[in-house]
Amino acid sequence: MGTVAERTAPRVTRLLGLVTYLERAGEASIEELAEHFGVTSAQVRRDIELLWVSGVPGHAPQDLIDFDAWAFDEGVIRLTNSQGVGQVRLSPREGVALIGALSAVVAGGAAPQAAHTALAKLVDAVADKDAVRSVTTASVDPAVAATLRDAIECRVVVELDYADANDRRTSRVIEPHRIVVIDGMPYVECWCRRAGDYRTLRVDRIMSASMGTDAVTAPASETPGFSLVPKFEAVVAADAPARWLLESFPGVQLEEGDGVVTARFGVADVSAVAGQLLTIGTALRSVGPPPLARELARQARAVLAAQA
Amino acid sequence: MTIDPAERLLNLIIALTHARVRMTRAQIRATVVGYEPADAHLAPDDVRRREAAFERMFERDKEELRRMGIPLRTVLDPTHGDAIGYKIDASDAAMPGIAFTSAEAAALALAAEYWQGATLGPDAHQGLTKIASTSSAAPRTPLTLGARASSTSDATATLVDARARRLAVAFDYTSASAGLSRRTVEPWQIILRAGAEYLYAFDRDRGEPRTFRLGRIHGSVTTVGKEGAYTIPRPLPKPSWGDTGAVHHAVVGLRPEAGHAIRRRGRALGTEGDWDLVEVQYRHADAIKDEVLALAGRARVMEPALIAQQVEREAAAALRVGEVPIDAESAGGGDRG
Repeated sequence: MGTVAERTAPRVTRLLGLVTYLERAGEASIEELAEHFGVTSAQVRRDIELLWVSGVPGHAPQDLIDFDAWAFDEGVIRLTNSQGVGQVRLSPREGVALIGALSAVVAGGAAPQAAHTALAKLVDAVADKDAVRSVTTASVDPAVAATLRDAIECRVVVELDYADANDRRTSRVIEPHRIVVIDGMPYVECWCRRAGDYRTLRVDRIMSASMGTDAVTAPASETPGFSLVPKFEAVVAADAPARWLLESFPGVQLEEGDGVVTARFGVADVSAVAGQLLTIGTALRSVGPPPLARELARQARAVLAAQA
Repeated sequence: MTIDPAERLLNLIIALTHARVRMTRAQIRATVVGYEPADAHLAPDDVRRREAAFERMFERDKEELRRMGIPLRTVLDPTHGDAIGYKIDASDAAMPGIAFTSAEAAALALAAEYWQGATLGPDAHQGLTKIASTSSAAPRTPLTLGARASSTSDATATLVDARARRLAVAFDYTSASAGLSRRTVEPWQIILRAGAEYLYAFDRDRGEPRTFRLGRIHGSVTTVGKEGAYTIPRPLPKPSWGDTGAVHHAVVGLRPEAGHAIRRRGRALGTEGDWDLVEVQYRHADAIKDEVLALAGRARVMEPALIAQQVEREAAAALRVGEVPIDAESAGGGDRG
């Protein structure tokens, strides 16, 4: 509790995992095991030493989990007796964590084929197949999504038409790095050659896309998920019945009194937030800071112009 | 003598896996390395104290086993129904080997990022360790794919566990229609939608299935009654998301290549000026209104006129608020009443 010591369940899960992996692989070097399980070589050594002294009650030599001592001295782990234990199936929570995350990405509509097939294999392997599922809310053009996926895989640029929240169309050449699904909405993280900077573009705003031949040269942003960093804190006051919308904003803090609810939340995508506020226009009392208010006004004008 | 809890747990797993029929608590205490055996030479008070310490430790270990997904079988006395021993069935417990390609393993690894900071975060990591044990490809942080949900709830883990054991749960919940009320429900499914978590469950008080947004649960979720108290219908009926009611038709104008969701479920009617006309069905006028507004000028409602007016009203009101930007300091609202 609060110490640096690893908690028990994750460690025992890895201990059982080492046994099963070694049973399947025959033998493996300490470095290979460390790499595979994402821990240090020193930790693998401690894990093997713990396994080595564990066994059936009585702890006679034949009752213990055993390894080849000669190989161990050479840094190679060879399992000689597993005592019949090994990795256990996914717990209900683990199943929901893995299937939930993958299904959320797949529901975003821009996931690579591997995410689809991994999800199918996982669902196939668990006993409880519908503990969790994801609902699609984004509307992504499948052809655009396919082009982005192929370009990321082939590491080439994409030429695309992008419409911002105000329907201003721009043609851009981007170096795509990563598809990231944030709250069900897929974005492409890229280097935009037009802007000469990193950009995160909403995939549903890409009107058309075609693969170019130029290779990607800019490295991916060093902070994966840089798009998630809130640019500023919004403060929005609205009539209480609009609470349902305000409470959907990530990390929102709400205060309610006198029939008015005030929401404070971080804004990463200004135009997306403005678009949502538009839907409760008649309930809005105040919107700040100015960049968000301006974007809201801009979108409102665009709607009125379209509707006129 | 204190021993690493991981070592004790591992010895317990091995012992219970090897138990032919069962192991009683007394046998576990006497033989599994890591527990302090009973000692008849001690004073009665010390005996009782040690007994209580063993019971606490063993209960904690059972909870850890459950958390790891190890099916611990409790053997009951056929005549009295008391727990008389424990056993782990190795074949029942084993992780099935799944052959993931390295691309698939990489995709799986995004689960850790998705649940980061949430109650299911440690479970995602533990699940990935299990995947690594039976797969030659290790799940590693994917470089070209990511996922994030910002409104993960503290209640998820409790609800998943309760559902797995078919335990009913109770919690305080705020709904738009009923305000704050105590709900007792039978959890059916966790639904992820636009980064938020929902519980699809049978509401015992209302006698019908309902969908609950986890962010609207106040305080903690408690389990109610006994395990195995209900069954989950197969297949699950579709949750309504409030989409009951008569079907109406609307005509929406879309800028070329905008509004793919509307195009996909609607019927193309041709063009008018710069607009592609699409006919769509709807149950709630608000749903069409919100969808058109969210397209921020790339869509317009042609008919019915009533929804077109609602769209204009929302936009005009939003414009009035947006044109007078106020700074964050004075937006509190609470102290100006």
